[in-house]
Amino acid sequence: MSELPFGPPVRVSPLIRFGRWSFLTAGILYGAFHQNRLSKKETKIREIEAKEKVIRDEKIKKEKAIAAAAEMKNLEEMINKKN
Amino acid sequence: MAGAVAKIPSLINTALSEARPKFAIFMKYAKVELAPPKLNEIPQIKAGISKLLSSFKSGAWKQQTVKQATLNTLVGAEVLFWFYVGECIGKRHIVGYNV
Repeated sequence: MSELPFGPPVRVSPLIRFGRWSFLTAGILYGAFHQNRLSKKETKIREIEAKEKVIRDEKIKKEKAIAAAAEMKNLEEMINKKN
Repeated sequence: MAGAVAKIPSLINTALSEARPKFAIFMKYAKVELAPPKLNEIPQIKAGISKLLSSFKSGAWKQQTVKQATLNTLVGAEVLFWFYVGECIGKRHIVGYNV
């Protein structure tokens, strides 16, 4: 056959072909199921993180304000000493 | 540089015209070798499974030559790897789960 340069196609055993296709479909289902499960899990974690971020940002803001006040106090003391 | 950019469409065209007959040959083989099993092949599949099981039970799988065992392992691995191809399709991402 001129159109088939590698000879006639091999008759692959039906068991092997059945195995391939069943593993392929099993893999698709497994992948889709776990994608769904893991993305649900991750959205929950994201929600918790968003809540915690608000609290954390406030805490950092307060700490920064305290640190800035202390620094200003130190500076004032230094200037007063020099005079 | 401009010449190289101007060549790109013709390069793509030659690549396509080269690849098309090869792809047609691939499809001719794939239609036979990668075809999903037909309904009338179910008895053969059942016979194959029972043969596998009986060779496991009787211990006949230990009496293979090294060459046969290697080939069987490779074929088994190929069949198993289809599962991971399917998993990649199912999770719609190549590496890891994109959550």
